[in-house]
Amino acid sequence: MSEIRLQIKDVSKHFGITRALKHVSFNINKGEIHALIGENGSGKSTLTNSLAGIYQKDGGTFILDGKEIHPINQVDANNEGISIIVQELGTLDGLTVAENIFLGHEDEFVKFGIKNTAAMNKRATELLKKYGFERIKAAEMIDNYNFEDRKLVEIVKATYFNPKILVIDETTTALSGEGREELYKHMKRIKEEGNTVIFISHDLPEVLRLSDTITVLRDGDYIDTVKSSDIDEDGLKKLMVGREVSGEYYRSDYGEPVSDEVVMRVRDVSVPGIISDISFDLHKGEILGFGGLSESGMHEIGKACFGASFDREGSVTLADGTKINNIPTAIAHSIAYTSKDRDNESLVMNQSIRDNICLPSLKKLSNKLHLLSDRKLKKFANTYAETMSTKMQSVDQFVSNLSGGNKQKVVLARWIGKDSDILVLDSPTRGIDVKVKQDIYHLMDKMRKDGKSFIMISEELMELIGMCDRIIIMKDGKINGELMRDKNMDENVLIEKMV
Amino acid sequence: MANSTVIESTNNNELKKQSIINMIRSLLPIIGLVAVFIVFNVLTKGNMWTSRKLILNQVYVVLISAVGVFFIMSMGGLDFSQGSIMGIASIVVCKLSGVNMILAVICGILAGAAIGAFNAYFYVNRKIKSFIVTICTMFLFRGFIKYMASNSPVAASMKVYDYDTTAVKLGITIAVLAVSFVVFRFTKFGIHLKAIGAGEKATKFAGVRTDRMKFFIYVLAGAVTGLAAFVNIVKNGSATANVGNQLETQILIALVLGGMPISGGAKVRFENIIVGSLLYIVLNNGLIMMGLTTQAMQLVQGIVFLIFVAIFADRQSLSVIK
Repeated sequence: MSEIRLQIKDVSKHFGITRALKHVSFNINKGEIHALIGENGSGKSTLTNSLAGIYQKDGGTFILDGKEIHPINQVDANNEGISIIVQELGTLDGLTVAENIFLGHEDEFVKFGIKNTAAMNKRATELLKKYGFERIKAAEMIDNYNFEDRKLVEIVKATYFNPKILVIDETTTALSGEGREELYKHMKRIKEEGNTVIFISHDLPEVLRLSDTITVLRDGDYIDTVKSSDIDEDGLKKLMVGREVSGEYYRSDYGEPVSDEVVMRVRDVSVPGIISDISFDLHKGEILGFGGLSESGMHEIGKACFGASFDREGSVTLADGTKINNIPTAIAHSIAYTSKDRDNESLVMNQSIRDNICLPSLKKLSNKLHLLSDRKLKKFANTYAETMSTKMQSVDQFVSNLSGGNKQKVVLARWIGKDSDILVLDSPTRGIDVKVKQDIYHLMDKMRKDGKSFIMISEELMELIGMCDRIIIMKDGKINGELMRDKNMDENVLIEKMV
Repeated sequence: MANSTVIESTNNNELKKQSIINMIRSLLPIIGLVAVFIVFNVLTKGNMWTSRKLILNQVYVVLISAVGVFFIMSMGGLDFSQGSIMGIASIVVCKLSGVNMILAVICGILAGAAIGAFNAYFYVNRKIKSFIVTICTMFLFRGFIKYMASNSPVAASMKVYDYDTTAVKLGITIAVLAVSFVVFRFTKFGIHLKAIGAGEKATKFAGVRTDRMKFFIYVLAGAVTGLAAFVNIVKNGSATANVGNQLETQILIALVLGGMPISGGAKVRFENIIVGSLLYIVLNNGLIMMGLTTQAMQLVQGIVFLIFVAIFADRQSLSVIK
């Protein structure tokens, strides 16, 4: 069993001044599910992307079955027997499902220079059937499918040719229960066929349940490789963070009464095709959670409360009677919003940390003549970036160079700097490691006690149960249940209402 | 421990290298300006220096109209209709110069602003890419100009020559530059503009009324060029069918020579306008003095433009040209 499949020797990679991997060496065996874990920016994706030919490593070697390999692109890596399912969307718009599945391998279907589309579609249909995804049609444009179905297509694309190594980079968070089960099934199949799965996830229980071996990276350094059976969640956290993580992860209080004071009244809000007839009140100092499947419409609720929905009906009213119908009004009345789509909606990527933090507060920072001073902006940005303990060289650094967790810290720093009273957080901890998660939870708890109110939209049920005073469950664009904070609440109650 | 210090020092070295590259990039236009100026003075045996007043006379129009385009390009847009705006506004100024000079100036500005609003309507409200809209309006209004000025140039009243002094032309230029510098550099206006260039959606989510801003900037750019039209008429006395022809290209080349990234965003600097316009005019005049033909000059311009775009293009955000 413990025959070596892949030797990673002394692999290094840097991006500009950031050293993402520092001389990493370890082995991966045949017939195992090998998890790769670490905080944001620890180098997991960099390592697997180098292996799959997406990046070119700067130094070191990959030895696959005793042979040194240098994949220069994904197709090349495929031919060596390595395939990858990436974190973000890995399918191409404007192509059919079949064309996506066989991308880079069209030659199999080309005769005398002409592509045999019918043969390709037939083969794709067979594959989709074999995987049990019959509802996805091979000849259909991939654009017509949602995020989740497209991920399923990627699973087919990455596994149909029985790769020697399959890399799965943080894919499960994008999938609902059904899609996850499907993915787990194929991971196990690949393992049983004697091949290898490299699995990246932030979900530690999932990692412990699925994997045989776990390798921990931290800040681009190799830390340790352990057997899953020899370690528990706390042990892993300790390896990832490099010190003991205290047990106080979520809020610890139960039964504290929530104020009766209503700060935001949402009535009969509908967005055509997404949500309908949503009504609720948000109280002062309350953390109100929204849970549901990804397409349940819960993400739109955040936008609706922030005045960012297109075509919204119904009303969002603050305690002083202000109606929120657009973003500038929302911000002027102390509402903050962090989007699930952090890189496009929350942050101006090719802009400095300074400007990103100051952007909504510029009015406050201007003097009587509406003039701004660089020194004042820098001080302001520094203060709040440091409050959030953002890892950076200086506030003049571009946001695009930060890791996911640090980007989120910049987003939060912006709204704390604006001194927002109502914070609408959509998936605030998506793709973020344990340490930063804990920081965010503690911050929310502290701000809650200071009378700030939260709407927290999340796909992570544990987080909702751990943090919220009240949880509203969404299903098919409607509210399908409401649960109060309870020590004994368990995930299944929520799941029941979600599906 | 030893290991981490090694890493620190490599990090520092990389950081230094990066900042040196950035510094060279930002200094290159200024070095270029000085170098080109010296080279041409040597080659023309000081002729360029003696005719500096003539050269300066050409820089005003480009310099003023470049301010509006600079704002547009900061937010990631483009404007190819500047030459036609200049043409229409020049004709308006000529026609009204006989009535009242102040009225002429104001109507020139309004004419420019109106075309700017026309561009903005199609760009912002009808959501058509700015370079397509402005190429269309470039031809549309060029057609108007040909129609109005083909038979005979539209002549301005003789009174405009009273304003043909360095004080007036330089005064207007400096006033426009000074006001826009302060507004761009020291108010939220500049930060908003650059943020739109670097990421429009996120800027909208940070509470900036991006559509209103984009509309306003196109109107403003039109108005500024309308003002430049007055300077143009003061200098030339009449508007021919070719008035303002290729001004848009001149501005674009000037800004890029000044180090402006073509996709706008966080890396634009106000200095780009001034250094770029001067560099462009010096280069142009130098080549003329060297006796180059118009065709050869376009060839050289094309090559220089390509080199500078290649140096200053911000490749990470090139896809966001609007």
